[in-house]
This record gives sequence, C-alpha cells and structure tokens, in this order.
Amino acid sequence: MLVGGLAAVLVLYPIGYLIQASLSVGDPQARPPEAYGLDNFTGLGRYGHIFGNTLLVAALATVLAVIVGFTMGWILSRTNVPGRAAFEQLMAMPYYVTPLMGALAWALIASPNSGVINQLWRALGGEGYLVDINTPWGIAWVMALFEGSVAFVMIGAVMKSMDPAMEEASQVLGASRVRTMLRITLPLVLPGVLGAAVFVFAEMLGSFSAALVLGLPARFYVVTTAMYQLVSQYPPRFPTAAAMGVSLFAVMFAMVWIYRRIISTGTYVTITGKAFRPRVMDVGGLRWPFLGVCAAYLAVAVILPVLTITYASFQHLTSAIPRVANFTLVNYKTALSLDAVGSALGNSLLLGLATASIGVPLMGFLSWLIYRSRLPGAGLIEYLLMFPQAVPRLVFAFGMLWAWLIFPIPIYGTLWLLLIAYLTVFLPLGLRTISGVILQIDRSLEESAQMCGATWGYRLRTVTMPLLKPGLIAAWLLLFIASVRELGASILLMGPKAKVITPAIVESWFSASTELTAAMAVLQTLAVVAALVLLFAVARRAVQHGGE
Amino acid sequence: MAHASIEVRDLVVRYSSVVAVRGVTFTVEAGEHLTLLGPSGCGKTTTLRAIAGLEKPTSGEIRIGGAPVFSSSPAVNVPAERRGLSMVFQSYAIWPHMSVFDNVAYGLRVRKRPEAEVTTRVREALELVQLGELGTRSASKLSGGQQQRVALARAFVFSPSVLLFDEPLSNLDAKLRAEMRVELKELQRRLDITSVYVTHDLEEALAISDRIIVMRDGVIEQIGSPGEIYDRPRNTFVADFVGSANLIRGRRRADLERDGLVVIQTQGGALVHGIAPDRPPGDEALMAVRTVRLRLERARPATQVNVWPARIRQRVFQGDFTQYHVDWDGRVLIVRLATPDPLAEGDEVFVSADPRYCVLLEE
Repeated sequence: MLVGGLAAVLVLYPIGYLIQASLSVGDPQARPPEAYGLDNFTGLGRYGHIFGNTLLVAALATVLAVIVGFTMGWILSRTNVPGRAAFEQLMAMPYYVTPLMGALAWALIASPNSGVINQLWRALGGEGYLVDINTPWGIAWVMALFEGSVAFVMIGAVMKSMDPAMEEASQVLGASRVRTMLRITLPLVLPGVLGAAVFVFAEMLGSFSAALVLGLPARFYVVTTAMYQLVSQYPPRFPTAAAMGVSLFAVMFAMVWIYRRIISTGTYVTITGKAFRPRVMDVGGLRWPFLGVCAAYLAVAVILPVLTITYASFQHLTSAIPRVANFTLVNYKTALSLDAVGSALGNSLLLGLATASIGVPLMGFLSWLIYRSRLPGAGLIEYLLMFPQAVPRLVFAFGMLWAWLIFPIPIYGTLWLLLIAYLTVFLPLGLRTISGVILQIDRSLEESAQMCGATWGYRLRTVTMPLLKPGLIAAWLLLFIASVRELGASILLMGPKAKVITPAIVESWFSASTELTAAMAVLQTLAVVAALVLLFAVARRAVQHGGE
Repeated sequence: MAHASIEVRDLVVRYSSVVAVRGVTFTVEAGEHLTLLGPSGCGKTTTLRAIAGLEKPTSGEIRIGGAPVFSSSPAVNVPAERRGLSMVFQSYAIWPHMSVFDNVAYGLRVRKRPEAEVTTRVREALELVQLGELGTRSASKLSGGQQQRVALARAFVFSPSVLLFDEPLSNLDAKLRAEMRVELKELQRRLDITSVYVTHDLEEALAISDRIIVMRDGVIEQIGSPGEIYDRPRNTFVADFVGSANLIRGRRRADLERDGLVVIQTQGGALVHGIAPDRPPGDEALMAVRTVRLRLERARPATQVNVWPARIRQRVFQGDFTQYHVDWDGRVLIVRLATPDPLAEGDEVFVSADPRYCVLLEE
C-alpha cells in the first residue's frame, strides 16, 4: 500500500504543479503564484496556429502510419508472403530507430539545401530542391515511419485474432473475395484499426523530437516545441507554457479514453476463446510485390536512416557522391574530445543502469500488487500509474520542473532529478512489460508452492522470480535503452553540470556541424550496445562462478 | 501416514457481490475419502480452496485435526502454507523451470529434510506414480498424463495430513481419465490419507469416494455413500445430476401402504411402490427410478408389485447398453439394458422395478 501510494505521489505531484502553474496569472516568475485565473487559457487564442500545426502533423502522420500498419499487418498476418516470420520480428526495428534518429537521418537525406536527394537533383541538372523535409509533411513522414511499426503491432494482433472461419463461411455462402473483404473482414478489424489510429494520434500530439529537429529551422512549431521554446527563452513564460501543456494533456487524455472505449467495446473479434488454426490466404504471384512492400518499408524506416547517419559521421561534409578525400575520423575525434559528450554519455549510461535496476524491482512489485494481490483499490492504482502514458514526457517534465524546484532537498539540476523523472515517465512501459509476463503465469503455480508449505519469501525466490525472469530481463533492457535515449523529459530537467547524451546531441545539431552530430548519435548507439554486451558478459560470468 | 479429520461449520464465502458458498457444514473423518460433487459454479471448488487456505471465507469455522485453521469469531486464519495440507490442482501447476525431481522434491526441501532423505523419498514417490525413470527430465517436456502423475507425487511426498484434489482428472482424455481413476483409488488406499476431492464427474465421484456431498448454488443438497447418492437421491436435482432417472408424479395412497413401502398412484392409474427414507409426508408425490434399475421382459415376471404392461416405442443402441423408450401409462419411460438379446420396436413387454429402487423425492 505504501509503495503504491508513493508511486501515485510520483505521478500526481508534478501534474498538480503543472495545473497550478497554468492558473498563475500574476508575475510569471513568482513562486508560488500571486494570483489565480483562467487568463492563460483564454490567451492561448494567439497560439491558435500552433494548435492547428499540431493537429495537421498528427493527422497526416496518423493516416500514413495506419496505412503502413494496415498494409503490413494484412500482408504479414493474412497472406502467404515469403519470410513472414522473419519480417514480423524485423517490424520491431523501426521502433528502436527512434524519431530523433529518424529526424536527423532524414534531415541529412532530404533537407532543401544540403540533403542528399536534393544534391543529386541539382547534379542531374535540377533547379532549387526536389523535396523539403522541414515541412509538416516531412515531420509527419518521419513520425509515420516510426509509428507505422506501432500501428502494425496493434492491427496485426487484431487480424491474427480473427477466426478465418468467418471469412470462409462468407465464401462458402457464395460471396466473392472482394465482397468477403468488404462485408466481413473490414468490419471485423475496423475497431482494431480505429483503436490503433486513435492511439497513434494521441502519441503524435505529444511527440517532440522530430518536430524539434525538423520544424525549428523552418520556424514551424507544434505545441510541444512551442512549450519548449517558451520555457527556454529569456525571460521564460512558464504559465503560458503550462496552459499549453494542460490543454494538450486534456486532449490526449480524451483520446486515450476514447481508445480504451474502442478497445473494450468494439472488438468482436477476440471474444471467442475457442482455439483456431490461423490460416493464410494464397495470394499467388502477388507474393513477390508484397514482399517488396515489406522490404521497402524497412528500407526507408531502418536501413536508410542508419546507413545515412553512419555515412555522414565519417564525412567532412556530407555529399551524395562519396569521395576518398571526404572520408574522415575527425568527427569522432572531436566528439570524444568534447568533455560534454564524454561526461554526458557516462551520465546517461549511469542513469540508464540506475533507472533499470531500481525500476524493475519497483515496477515488478507494483505489477504484482495490481494484478496479484487482490488489494482493494488495485484498479485505481493501475489507472494512476498508467497516467504518464497520456501525458507527453515534455509536459510531464515541465510539471516536475516546478514540483522539484521547491523540494526541500536540493535535487534540481542533478542526476537525481532525472532519475526520478525517468522512473515516473517510464512507469507505464515497465508495468506493461512486466504485467504481461505476470498475467501469463497461472496463479496455481504460486498456490501449489504455498500448498507445499512454502512461505511468501520462499515462494518468491523459488517459483515466482524464476518464472518472471525472462520478462524482468526484457523490462530491464527496455528501461535501460529508453532511459539512455530519453529526450523530452531530459531536455528540460538536466542541469548544466549534469548533462545527458540525447539533449547534447540535439544541442550539437543546432549549434555545431551535422556530421559531428551524426558521430555523436553513432557513439550513443555503440555505447548502448557495448554496455549491454558488457553487462551480459559480467552477468553470465557471475552466474557461472556463483553456480546455479 | 498422518491422518487428520476436517470439520467445516457454517462456511460462507462471499465475493464482492456473489455468495459462492452459503452456510455449508460437514465433517471428514480421519482417513476418509470425501468428494464434493456438483455442476460448475456450485461452490465446491471454493469450499475446497477455503479448506486449503487459498480463499478467505466470509464467516464460519474450519478445523483440521481438531485445531481451528479458520474462524470468523474469534478471528483465526492460519495461512495455507502452515495448515499442513497438500493439493493437486486442476491445471497440475507443474513448475516449468524445474526438473521432475525438483518439482516433487519441493515440499521436502521446504521442510529442510536432509538431501539423502529427499532423494530416497522422491524416488519412492515417483515409483508409486510409475514415473521412476523420469526424474531428470525437464518438467515442461511431459505429456498431460505424466504431468498429472508428477503433480500427484509432489502433493503426497511430504506426508501431508490431508490431500485435496481440485478436479485433477478433468484435463485428461476419457480413456486416460478412466485409467487414472483406478490408479488414484489404489494410491489412496496405499497412502491411507484423509482426502477431499472435487469433481463434476459422477463416475469419478462414485469410484473413489467413501462419501459424497452433492452441492448446488453454494448449499449441500445431499450427503451420503456413493450407493445412497445413486439409489436414494433426496430430490430432483440429485436424481437428475447423479446419472439418468425417470421421474414419476402421482398422489400418495396411504391406504395401500404396507411392509414399510410407500405407494403412489399416477394420473393414468398405475400404482408404484417405493421407499421413502426420512421423507416428510405429503399428498402430491414425485418418485425417481434410475433408468438402469428398470427391467423389460416379454413374459410377465412373478413379482407382486411394480409390474406394468408397456410397449417399446424406440430403441437406441449405445454400445455398453441399449436405451429403450417405452410407452407406459400415457407417457415415455427410459430404460437402459445391458442384455445382448434385443427387443424390437413395437414389442409388447412388461416393465418392472424393485421397490427398493423407487425413491420418493422431497420435492
């Protein structure tokens, strides 16, 4: 109960301060507010175009992402395209590329002046530029490539859970394939598609990094980047930013609520508990074009961005046509010699380690509390802890900024604040990963240990923990990777003496060379991989020496 | 092995809005094999789990070996792991991350027995369930029947005072289930242990129990030996649930009753003699006769009572028996016969029934 309450405080405390700040109408710098009122909200009319921008980008990206997700979901779960199993695994990759990496890469590929595509266009005799990534379309494109894999997972799951007998029944009764698709398949998966669309739209409303990297050069703002601008300018305008955050939060909360409604009422497909053998449609010669579609998506969402960033990191000045003289290691030399990078990378790894190591036991215990203890109010705790999902990390961090500024122990500007922030914003991620495993473990496995006379601690050690191990390791990895690459919360909360790597990369993007930034991004990825390899080696050795 | 009796008194288990068990009282003698029988949702599993300590009752009292393990007043609730019981789960609940040996050894290791003793006793237990050679096998690589045996061995290896069974055979196919039923009975006899068994399968209950409790909607409908439950159902629910029975409605004819038998007269005028163990007297009456207790003969049998002329309407061959639908007294009686000599549809026959198998019901 105490731990549950503590976690609830972690979540509610910053949100309370966010709302307080949004209602402050006196001197914007005064803490606590001198006067309360709704002026900040009524004054948001001036920023109408920013809300318009946000909706435009989110809508564009959602449509694109759902098309990608639906197409890939249908191909990979309902047709006999070659290599389905492998592709399904690979579909997780775009998610790991992150919007920031995607945005940096696509800026290198398609920015109007120096982008590789436009260089080639001019080399072929074209005028000006062919494509411009610094537009709402560009931001939506980068985000859609990323969210496409999210939409795929959600829509693919619905398609898989549909009993093929429903389609077969329609065909047996004489309906054509097209009629079956329109009258049976589509209505059955529609709630799932709609759910995915609402979910992606909500995520898009709160997205930050792609809009920052691609929108700022063209002075194109969405709500999150505008908030960031209002807070980081001098003098900062906290109350206006807070009002923006609260508005965004309200809209996203409504979206998440709609999403939950759709999911809980609309899925006829998953109702039957009856087992059925998933059968796929033979699409004949179309298999190869379909394979091409899958490969093309992975190429633009993963391979192209990664290759571009890696290539750029070894260049003096990124040019479309490689020349020997242009290759260099100087970017890495500079990056490594920058004290900011060295210490920021170290800080990030340290924070990742701490977040994952504290987060897994904490979130494991909370999951157990919610799903296993039958505690009264467990449902309420779950609702509270999943809250950060509905709040953009930047908005959440803004609440924390205010909340922890006045905290009696001076943690503001230190890594401690970032640790608390990470543990809070990643609560939903950790809980979902761990509870997925907890729910798979039949309760009777623990009960039978109890019936054998094992006490609570003994059961936990011999039955519960070993069964949870794969899930806990997965959660640890996810938390570690997510923490090291976190941007939205870090960019507001890190102090000048306690930098972390991702905001440092963004800083370098705006103030130093593109190639140096690419080198930093590669270093970050390498550092994550190296840290994981090292950890696994150490863990394995420890297990071997300790004996099982 | 150690015995313990179980006493359950006024047990009530209520979940937020549903009452799963509504005031159940019974006793299991030391060494007795008792079965809780009933359809799903009747509260039998909840009762078992309350005895185990996995479910906290709302009120009532549970004593094991005379000592209270649960009581609502004064408040006592001994946790499951300290009740000294053991249990076989419906899902088997075999731990997939351990070997067969480690699964079975668990209860002994919890009790900190020396490893030499653990080895001997686990071997013995595995021999007893005929899995002697599988000890080192990983538990996740077992068939359903093998998992069932491991679950059994794990449950009795540490000599618990009571063994609880929660529908242990329900996940096996019919043939294996019949085999395991016999094996289970043999095992019970060898272990000589108090046991409480939960099932919805009549044959299972009849085969392995000393006594059966039939439950419905959280209350006890009847307690009795397998023979009593089968041949002397107390009411229509038990008569119906425990195998197939013909129900005959009529009026009591107290004037004709002799030799301790009761007599009812149907609307069609037929007189049916039967027994009425502790039934309250009443005018309207309902009698139950099992389909297998009726006889069909071409010649009129020599008995005095319960012989009626009838006509075969339909014959359904079902392998182990043949089911006849018989026109009798303006209605249809169902008779199951195992005799190989078949009667033909349309045959005129005599139906007869031993009055000992015609039971007056309470409702």
